[in-house]
Amino acid sequence: MAYSETAKTHYTNELKGIRSGGLFKEERFIESPQAARIKVEYPLGAAPKEVINLCANNYLGLSSHPDVLEAARKGLETRGYGMSSVRFICGTQDIHHELENKLTEFLGTEDTILFPSCMEANAAIFEVLLDKDDAMIADRLVHASIVDGMRLSKAQLYNYKHSNMEHLEEKLQETQGCRFRMIITDGVFSMDGDIAKLDVICDLAEKYNAMVMLDDSHASGFMGKRGKGTHEHCGVMGRIDAITTTLGKALGGAAGGCLSGRKELVELCRQRARPYLFSNTVPPVVVAASIRVIDLIEKSTDRRDKLEENTMFFREQMTKAGFDIREGVHPIVPVMLYNAKLAQDVARDLYAEGIYVVGFFFPVVPQGQARIRTQVSADHEREHLEKAVAAFTKVGKKYNILGKKKDEIIAMYGV
Amino acid sequence: MAVHERVKEFFRNELVELQNADLFKEERYVCSPQAADIVVEYPPNAPPRRVINFCANNYLGLSTHPAVIEAAKKGLEERGFGMSSVRFICGTQDIHKELERKVSGFLGMDDTILYSSCFDANGGVFEALLGEEDALISDELNHASIIDGIRLCKAERHRYKHGDLHDLEHHLKQTQDKRFRMIVTDGAFSMDGVVAKLDEICWLAEEYDAILLVDDSHATGFIGKTGRGTHEHFDVMDRVDLITTTFGKALGGASGGCVSGKQFFIDILRQRSRPYLFSNTLSPVVVAATIKAIELLEGSTHLRDKLERNALYFRQHIRDAGFEVKDGFHPIVPIMIHDARIVQEMARSLYDEGIYVIGFFYPVVPRGAARIRVQLSAAHEIEHIDKALAAFTKIGRKLGVVK
Repeated sequence: MAYSETAKTHYTNELKGIRSGGLFKEERFIESPQAARIKVEYPLGAAPKEVINLCANNYLGLSSHPDVLEAARKGLETRGYGMSSVRFICGTQDIHHELENKLTEFLGTEDTILFPSCMEANAAIFEVLLDKDDAMIADRLVHASIVDGMRLSKAQLYNYKHSNMEHLEEKLQETQGCRFRMIITDGVFSMDGDIAKLDVICDLAEKYNAMVMLDDSHASGFMGKRGKGTHEHCGVMGRIDAITTTLGKALGGAAGGCLSGRKELVELCRQRARPYLFSNTVPPVVVAASIRVIDLIEKSTDRRDKLEENTMFFREQMTKAGFDIREGVHPIVPVMLYNAKLAQDVARDLYAEGIYVVGFFFPVVPQGQARIRTQVSADHEREHLEKAVAAFTKVGKKYNILGKKKDEIIAMYGV
Repeated sequence: MAVHERVKEFFRNELVELQNADLFKEERYVCSPQAADIVVEYPPNAPPRRVINFCANNYLGLSTHPAVIEAAKKGLEERGFGMSSVRFICGTQDIHKELERKVSGFLGMDDTILYSSCFDANGGVFEALLGEEDALISDELNHASIIDGIRLCKAERHRYKHGDLHDLEHHLKQTQDKRFRMIVTDGAFSMDGVVAKLDEICWLAEEYDAILLVDDSHATGFIGKTGRGTHEHFDVMDRVDLITTTFGKALGGASGGCVSGKQFFIDILRQRSRPYLFSNTLSPVVVAATIKAIELLEGSTHLRDKLERNALYFRQHIRDAGFEVKDGFHPIVPIMIHDARIVQEMARSLYDEGIYVIGFFYPVVPRGAARIRVQLSAAHEIEHIDKALAAFTKIGRKLGVVK
């Protein structure tokens, strides 16, 4: 064996540490397609059980939509399964170009470049677009993939306090000497479901001559009246320079991401973005299905409207039931429990009641901010949500947290 | 001037410079599935024409194999299109586990963790396993995704000269005081089609107590007597600690990658590897089709045997025609032209003859080492290859590359 026993011992101890810290991530096996109701085997070896899923990014219920499946099947037949190539060698089909144009049109930008995932889009763009004379000014809570992308860029890194516009302005003043500045934010922040103040951000960007980059992965397809994203929701379409987003959440949920924005930025990424040049093209089956997804949501806002109604209903009912939920309008509805063990206990009891949710705790959220992050979908019917509220209420009673404020919950369970 | 104007001007200039330097990458639209014969629209809006494809990583011809497409369709029906989730929230299906087991069995490893791509696997493996007390010792010609993964890792970085095991040993000696050392190499190098000397690298790893990671993206499925990869070819199947590889080349070619290796490494990656925790799970349709691809390869070596014959046939005849070819047996066959301008003209002329190949030149390969990289596939029949040989000879003579 090439590795030493020391290495084995070291890694085995690390794993023990993760387990004893209560931080071990377990996987549950799903034996059905993604949907409002799924069949899950958990714990491993247990008889599969049907539960209501409240933790997928399947916001529009398109992950197993019959039209999307049909388009995927047709894509397989007419364009094959894989391309076995990067884009610029022999991995660009006519449909890749078609999907890029559709996304450009849908998002209201100038041009779009596809990536295998939004993770790779975010990993790529900062290194291509910015250099050491430039500054990246990022919200402290941006997604991990943006953090990694910024780590790969030579540009100077500045952080501003989460959604704190005064602090952002300070950083813009501090960086006046830089060649280009880019303000970097998530459209919707995934742990809290809160929305970036894009109107203020755009005003500041214009005042200080900075670019704006937005990751709209938790918004594309359903935020804004026509579902175009947070830039539509905040009334700033046309004022964002670069939008990255995913096809892996609301827009079908299989894979793929993109950068959409000003033509020059997109074109330069085609020449220089490492994951674009060195990783596979998006497979035809995903491209074909994604084209259909965009067609569906352009034709009708029914699904986003239903998602909006479901979200309002669930937020109202959970508040009425006495839960401490983060305010907002987004289908991410964080149920605050503050204590990591409590979050895991409540999630387990809810699973026993047929509701699939996951507890989030440090290091995914700050210490003392443990929660259950529920996510509403257009696939949910009223009765799914009513059942979920009833189950939450039952479990909430058991732990005596209904109607309790933050301090009272912490007094009972600690942080 | 407003930032947008300044940015526009700046990036426009960058693009013009690329064009002036002949470094601008153009995309050609393929209007058919990936196969030996494809329909291409090039330049844009020209009438589509049928050409023979010699530049895909479709080594085994599985990208449009009917059994793979059938499995993908069945996957769609039974497990849906997307999971809209990362693995540990609600993105793990029973078939994800099944694929991980299948890959482990095929590669002869303890366990396997799936990623959206091998690019992500390489991006996520180093940082999760090594820290600043450790050292990475990497072949200088390793793939870009390994380089990026190493850039994200805090371990001390060492590069050894391509394939130079004396230099590797030198770095192993230099890093004796480190907690852990990891040797990192591609199994097959994509620009030259040469394979790493894994037998000798294994000896060094054992002598110096280092961990060995091999990226076998250009080998999994067809190198080695039963196609397991370069570790099978060198008879060191139980001596490699970690293999990263892709499902995006020989194994169907859609997407997805993995890290396969010792149990405790894979267990740590599931807890800490950022692209695994923060990017989507592999889509059910890709999982289902990849399971089928591996089953096909386990059932018969027919495809890899045919690929081997095709590669040998092409290598021998292109050499007989007078071309300079890098030695080897890999289906990547670099035809050395040296001059960047001639290489581009040659690729263009070959396209006019119905042969789709790409010229590679600086900065992708060193200056003066411009080449046409031909890739053979089990989807090619002898008549495809004969046509290519005839076209190469004709154009090679016209451009004075061969007599």
